[in-house]
Amino acid sequence: MRSRDRWQLPAAALLAAAAAAVWWRADLFTMELLAEVAILAIFTMSLQLLVGVTGMVSLGHAGFLAAGAYTTAAATLFWGWPPAAALVLSVAVAALLAAAAGLFVIRLSGVFFIMITLAVGQMFHAFFFRAQRFGGDNGLAGTPRIDLAALGLDSGAPGTFAAFALICAALVYLLLLLVTRSPFGMMLGAIHQNESRLASLGCPVRRYKLAAFTAAGAVAGVAGALTAQHTGFISPDLAFWTFSGEALIIVILGGSGSLAGAAAGAAVFVLLRDLLSSGSFWSGLSLPPELASHWQLFMGMLFIAVVLAARDGLYGRLAWLIEALHTRRRARR
Amino acid sequence: MHKRASVLTIVSVLLTGCAAVAAAAPIKVGVLLPASGVYAGLGNDQTLALELGFDAFGREVAGRPIELVYADSEAKPSTGLAQVKRLVLRDRVDVVVGIISSAVAGAVRDFIHNAEVPLVITNAGNDHLTGAQCSPWIMRSSFSNAQISREMGPWMADRGYRNVFLMAFDYAAGHQAMEAFRSGFVAAGGTIGGEEYPPLGETEDFGPYLAKIRAAGPDAAYVFFAGGPAIKFVKEWAAFGLHGEVQLAGAGWLNSALYIDAQGDDAEGTLGILNYVPSIDTAENHAFQERFRAAHGRAGSEFGVAAYDTARLIVEALQATGGNTDDKAALAAAMRAIRFDGPRGPFRIDPATNNVIQNLYIFEVQQQGDGVAAVVQEVIPHVQDAPNGCSL
Repeated sequence: MRSRDRWQLPAAALLAAAAAAVWWRADLFTMELLAEVAILAIFTMSLQLLVGVTGMVSLGHAGFLAAGAYTTAAATLFWGWPPAAALVLSVAVAALLAAAAGLFVIRLSGVFFIMITLAVGQMFHAFFFRAQRFGGDNGLAGTPRIDLAALGLDSGAPGTFAAFALICAALVYLLLLLVTRSPFGMMLGAIHQNESRLASLGCPVRRYKLAAFTAAGAVAGVAGALTAQHTGFISPDLAFWTFSGEALIIVILGGSGSLAGAAAGAAVFVLLRDLLSSGSFWSGLSLPPELASHWQLFMGMLFIAVVLAARDGLYGRLAWLIEALHTRRRARR
Repeated sequence: MHKRASVLTIVSVLLTGCAAVAAAAPIKVGVLLPASGVYAGLGNDQTLALELGFDAFGREVAGRPIELVYADSEAKPSTGLAQVKRLVLRDRVDVVVGIISSAVAGAVRDFIHNAEVPLVITNAGNDHLTGAQCSPWIMRSSFSNAQISREMGPWMADRGYRNVFLMAFDYAAGHQAMEAFRSGFVAAGGTIGGEEYPPLGETEDFGPYLAKIRAAGPDAAYVFFAGGPAIKFVKEWAAFGLHGEVQLAGAGWLNSALYIDAQGDDAEGTLGILNYVPSIDTAENHAFQERFRAAHGRAGSEFGVAAYDTARLIVEALQATGGNTDDKAALAAAMRAIRFDGPRGPFRIDPATNNVIQNLYIFEVQQQGDGVAAVVQEVIPHVQDAPNGCSL
């Protein structure tokens, strides 16, 4: 754990540099992808706090993202709040809901925890699906983006919004890094490793788990608010369990335990999906373009390959490789 | 001699080919239809008919070939939005067609509106898309939910049905269809004897709901179901013994040409209303059905017709602009000015809402040959939506 950790900051710096380089040269569509990567990275990093750090595998995390998105939509469209204030409210609402749900779900662990979080997420989905005020299954369009006119910027421009989302993602990364390196974060890591020993030492394990669940929910709320701003559209699909599952896959793909890994996983996922679901990519390989509709199949095969070949994810393998080269060089010297 | 002739042909074909490529860039039509997910079947039906339509009405305008660029929406709003962004921003399509699911249509609405690229919706029926949320860039060649169901209320009241039970899945389209029926039916003096909205995607068995219909004892039931649940509903209706006891009526997807054969005798006697039935007796419809049958070995459906008419709408609008796609506003205006007689009758886009103005067909399912088929009882011509908050 600790040996891997030393690559955490260099990896994050590399990722940030790559994002900045892409942003510098991107066309409009790539800007849209970058914004999507940034928002998804915020979401997967928040899930990482639960899955990789604390060892709570949640399959309902998208519910809190959706809560944030719907809060932003309601605050801006129904009450006329500015999007920045709506973002703050979204975080508060998501945190509150996560705390309320957390009171129940943290009492369970293992498969039962997965199942109850799945149920909680689906409750959000069912609620939004029937909420006629929010357009029910048709969703609701028109959420405005944050007003950056004070900085002389137009957030409606794909490049500006992509930069805004990337900066948000960087801030969330730093925040979560501080959390995981704080004594609180150390306790979460200890709970992950041996919960019963910690409990027998007199540590209020449940309180820590509840705090982790609430914090993760709050950060998911940020991702939700940004999603609503980015697409200008919310629908119950945001809360559907397959989205939670996708995020879980990204976390495992990127490297369980590492925030930079979760962010990198989000980037790999979005870019691969864009590539594999594009007909011109397949016809470029002189294969039938209809394969684009089966991108999930190829993504699934990749996922299986990663899980088989690198149980600690892409980030874990990479760190292991660098570490191995490092020690060999030192041994030679 | 022969050889030289063929060499000459090849050379001339190559030369004209090169000249055409050099002279005219293709006109790109982005097609956003689900090839996977719950609506894959409908997406496939529209893809086939769209290709057939461009075969029939021309794949070249003013020397520019028409190129279809496909994108799979998976019937999911987020995927649909990502794909439409790719079509517009990366593939730089001149016009977008497609969209089965209203949720996908809602997701792409603002992006299309701001990108100022014409979009022709070939299915998604959400009333608001051509109502309060209408856009000068978004036209609809299929229907609005209210457009289909609104006329059925007065018609049934006229036929002496006084007390009708409503039923549809608990989702936006279901409620819109039921409200449209209710407003017309109640205004014509009918009463609603009860209504039920089973949850979408979770209803395994209609039995409890059918029991409520029997207990309410209405003259008729007006329902909105499509696809697999429509087959199931009609079969359970018959199995429950409501056949002959209560008149079954519905938005016509209940007995769509795609699956009426699977319902068989159980569908007999059902009343429906829709913008198309395969038995329409016009030269345009025979031509469509013959083409579709020749290519795919089965009857074309109302879903196919909407895509087929969309191909014609685009080709004729492009002809009107002389193949010019640089001025997107002129292209959209040309589309609004197109009128033709298609398989379902007169077709045109309403300049007030951008929704299609079309005939509606009230039909009864009757025995025909060795199967059942929708037989037209009455044609309601030129059905047009009120603006409903739309100002273009």
